[in-house]
Amino acid sequence: MSEAFLVAKGIAKRFGGLTALSDVDLEIRAGEVLALLGDNGAGKSTFIKVLAGAHPPSEGQILVAGQPVSFASPKDAAASGIATIFQELALSENLSISENVYLGRELKHSVLGVPFLRRKEMKQRVAELLKELDAHISDPEAPVGSLSGGQRQSVAICRALNLNAKLVIMDEPTAALAVAETRKVLALIRKLAERGCAVVLISHNISDVFEVADRMVVFRRGRKVAERLRAETELEEIVALITGAHPDVRALEKAQ
Amino acid sequence: MHRLTQATSLLTGRELILLAACVVITIAFASVSPVFATPENAATIMRNSVELLLIGLGMTLLLAMGGIDVSIGVVMGLSAIAVGRALGANLDPALAAAIGPLTGALLGLVTAAVVVLGRIPAIVGTLGLLGVYRTAIFVVLGGQWLSGLPTGLTEMLGTSLVGVPLSFWVIALAYLAVWLALRRTPFGLHLLAIGNSEEKARLAGISVTKVRFAAFLISGMLAGLAATFYVATYRNVEMTTGSTLALDAIAAVVLGGTSILGGRCSLIGTVLGVMLLRILQNGLLLIGVPSLWQTVVTGGLLIAVLSFEALAGRLSFAKLGWASR
Repeated sequence: MSEAFLVAKGIAKRFGGLTALSDVDLEIRAGEVLALLGDNGAGKSTFIKVLAGAHPPSEGQILVAGQPVSFASPKDAAASGIATIFQELALSENLSISENVYLGRELKHSVLGVPFLRRKEMKQRVAELLKELDAHISDPEAPVGSLSGGQRQSVAICRALNLNAKLVIMDEPTAALAVAETRKVLALIRKLAERGCAVVLISHNISDVFEVADRMVVFRRGRKVAERLRAETELEEIVALITGAHPDVRALEKAQ
Repeated sequence: MHRLTQATSLLTGRELILLAACVVITIAFASVSPVFATPENAATIMRNSVELLLIGLGMTLLLAMGGIDVSIGVVMGLSAIAVGRALGANLDPALAAAIGPLTGALLGLVTAAVVVLGRIPAIVGTLGLLGVYRTAIFVVLGGQWLSGLPTGLTEMLGTSLVGVPLSFWVIALAYLAVWLALRRTPFGLHLLAIGNSEEKARLAGISVTKVRFAAFLISGMLAGLAATFYVATYRNVEMTTGSTLALDAIAAVVLGGTSILGGRCSLIGTVLGVMLLRILQNGLLLIGVPSLWQTVVTGGLLIAVLSFEALAGRLSFAKLGWASR
């Protein structure tokens, strides 16, 4: 495995008196799909919000490519190459695919000081990206409102790639999708990793996770309780880790 | 949906229907009134459309962004007073002409400040401003008309180029500029994205505040330009100047296919909406319907179009928490 793109050390997050995360250490490597698992309220969503710059951590340190960073907003995180694809995809349904991919960072050229869009180039680039991702969308000019849930995920992924994201965080990317669509999105996630992107994935669907993840991290009550390579674990073990039935988790929780 | 991206396509279904409606009511009025289908009356309709075409253009931008300005007619009224006062003070007509858009732009910035910085829905913020501006007009005019203004501005702007009145060259230029801004620049994309969802636009990294300020500024400036042409044409300003224009503009723009909830707009639709409204108002007057009924017709049309779209499932006010009750 390559060197870690992002290292989180001793991350804690408290909301008033409530401790949502404590002492989480994690490494995320380029080209790797890392799944965060855990029951509702286990702390995985809070953790990705810390990585995405939406919540500043109460304690701990984040290193990106070896350099310590501190994110005041998702914009800061984006500047460090971290893109988050939210569950409710932040796409504009009334705009076309290529417009969405470039929205907020359009290609333009100046005519008499007026910035005009370079539509042709944007369209070409998006068509290439869609082809590369094997997204099965032929027309980059189609409005996003006419796309299926899975196709919209592809557009969101295109957007992240186009922003030169080195780490893509995805929150429940397959939650609202039909079976065939889920397969396509999982294939996309693998493609992202093959391109050298690090992918952090939250999912409740453990069989999806087993199909796509290289490594799994289990959260429980705000702590990281286990880390497993896919090759070295089984579905039953992961379920036991999530529910707390696993002897390792019991021992850990007794010790605290 | 598709008309947004297919900027090159000619007329959409909606626009064709509007065009057909214009033709049908023209034929109907012509068969009833002997005066309607005369070149003089056509010129009257065109002259009566100048202000509405400009204000409707600004309103199209605002509605596409999910905004609105119900004070825009009174903004034109105030700008007209500024132009009138400038003329009355024997200012150079060229300078007086510039005072219209300048005043409008200034008032547009005030509107933006109230709505954007005050974080209140545009419909409520501009309703508040409407109340303020109406009294402002009364106070400034002191209950009297501005009338018998010098003819300099009229002579300057009343000219024709290649047989087309100067006002229509200016209108064409304004529509071309706004069309380019909407379809060919990042500003247009950002405006339409905000009209779809302000939250998502913000997440995409768009500076929502800047775009909203710009749209209100442009709309105010266009209303001010309308004021300049109004004063040039009529050489007087009344207490009620512009008072029905906001309703007219919203009705015309919505008729034209621009969504009142934002995210979708049609400039050709706005032109056709304005023409339909003005032909209808003119024709009704000529067949003897009192002018008092004009706003009834406009308001009725607006309600009918929106209701039709809601019933056809193309419009859901519940989405905005606007459920009717």
